Amino acid sequence: MTTMLQEPPDVAVSAKLIIRNLNIFYGAFHAMKNASLDVPANNVTAFIGPSGCGKSTFIRALNRMHDLTPGARVEGEVLLDGEDIYAPSIDPVTIRHRIGMVFQRPNPFPKTIFENVVYGPRIHGIGGRAQLAEICERSLKRAALWDEVKDRLDRSALELSGGQQQRLCIARCLAVDPEVILMDEPASALDPIATSKIEDLINDLKKEYSVVIVTHSMQQAARISDLTAFFLMGELVEVGTTSQVFTKPEDKRTEDYITGRYG
Amino acid sequence: MATRAVDVVAATTIPKPKSMAAQTALVRIWTTGTAIICGALVLLMLLFLFAFAWPAIKYNGWTMLTSIYWNIGDQYATGTTVHNGVAAQPGANFGSLVFIYGTLMTSILAMLGAVPLSLLVAFALVYRIPARIRPGVNALVELMAGVPSVVYGLWGVVVLVPFIGQQLAPFVTSHLSGVPFVGGAAGSGNGLFASAVILALMVTPIMVATMRDVMLAQSKALYEASVALGSTSWQAVTRVVVPSVRNGVFASVLLAFGRALGETMAVLMVCGAAANEFPSNIFQTVNTIAAIIVSQLESASTDASGIAQRSLAELALILFVITLTINIIARLIMRGTDRLGKSNA
Repeated sequence: MTTMLQEPPDVAVSAKLIIRNLNIFYGAFHAMKNASLDVPANNVTAFIGPSGCGKSTFIRALNRMHDLTPGARVEGEVLLDGEDIYAPSIDPVTIRHRIGMVFQRPNPFPKTIFENVVYGPRIHGIGGRAQLAEICERSLKRAALWDEVKDRLDRSALELSGGQQQRLCIARCLAVDPEVILMDEPASALDPIATSKIEDLINDLKKEYSVVIVTHSMQQAARISDLTAFFLMGELVEVGTTSQVFTKPEDKRTEDYITGRYG
Repeated sequence: MATRAVDVVAATTIPKPKSMAAQTALVRIWTTGTAIICGALVLLMLLFLFAFAWPAIKYNGWTMLTSIYWNIGDQYATGTTVHNGVAAQPGANFGSLVFIYGTLMTSILAMLGAVPLSLLVAFALVYRIPARIRPGVNALVELMAGVPSVVYGLWGVVVLVPFIGQQLAPFVTSHLSGVPFVGGAAGSGNGLFASAVILALMVTPIMVATMRDVMLAQSKALYEASVALGSTSWQAVTRVVVPSVRNGVFASVLLAFGRALGETMAVLMVCGAAANEFPSNIFQTVNTIAAIIVSQLESASTDASGIAQRSLAELALILFVITLTINIIARLIMRGTDRLGKSNA
């Protein structure tokens, strides 16, 4: 089968990430087949599709997380501001500094709230206590968590609720000042109230960052994203503005999925 | 009419509250009962052992813990020696210091090899081995844990002991003659070193399995989180993974240590069954509490005064106390780790 649509969507802003002919293999298994996509700056791009369709596989290729998966192989180009992040001369560590990631399950370190937020700045060599405190406050405020935790920064992050932990993970990601934020189903383990807080936050974050979010909830994609890409069985079936994908899908498979025929 | 239909549906699909309550009560009685029986059994064993060993404890006093001589006394003598109101054959002396030393030394030496090995294997299992072949490797580890100890012992007798006695020990002792615990006589191959190697092989799969579970539960997500923040792999391991698994790994080491202390058959087959003297280096023969109990059981049963058997029971009690202490410490640490894991979930 050939992929239907490979032209970037008509968006008025410049592309932050340009992905061309991306193929991902787990051993002999071809998990992502020749996908091409543009991620525009200061927009929210949502990846939707049924479980196992390859959307998480795809997003993990965008900050080279597959380097950590034994047996995984990535082919094709991922250009960040025109520079291929898979080029041999590129250090994946510097790429992950510029492209942050928030995971499905909140994964705070078993450290204090403060130490969680300043972990990234610390490993990148920032040591001054005052500077770290400033970064901590700014990041927590941007993640809409500051008011809830400002009096207990020295308490364990594990004492926070699931939703607070996830916002802490977002704050931790913001603290290294990335340009792109990748979110792999960031609200799937959270209750509806916590989910709505995360969604408000994402809406706010796109003013400063390019956000890519994987979600299994079509409603969530419709609520928060500007662009939507639909994946099915390791293929990028269709990508377009969210309103177009949800109201006038070009591919029959997209329409079947949107109208609830599978997934 | 409609109401009745609903009633019928409710009656057929939802179990009656009364029978549910009865079932809940039954399950509670059953689980509580089982838990009490398990605890009571351990306590009873301890009490029985203590009661049976009591004459020996009275007869031996501190000698048991301070003397290195184990002698069931002159079995052909006509009279008996009485000490603290307990009679024994003349010349009887039950000191376990050599065995306590052997027990601790073989296990500690084994852990020195097994802990780094297990850490490496567990790390590789969680982070480095492709998901496709991981189940196979896991099965191998579990298989290793299931091999009967007598099989390890036999391998030790047939392969390991000759190798140590004929090649390794002569080579090491001649090249490192001045080094304490290593230099000196090469020995037959049976002894402290062979016991430690066998024990290390036996506890490694247990440690790999528990360390792997600890790492899977916590650290893989944390490792990814750290790397995604732009850390190097080394920074992720040293700053996040190691601190987060430290307690679990420590508990796993203690559990394996407890297991090594009590291992009997494989050690008995390769330790050389030393008595009444400490090994002069790691290639000399030793004996452990578990091994001496088995090897002395028959001669102790011929002791006319019966005190030899009771002294073996006292030895068992000492081993029990040592391993119980280690286990309790391990459980306490594990519980701390669990609490951390729960609030993280």
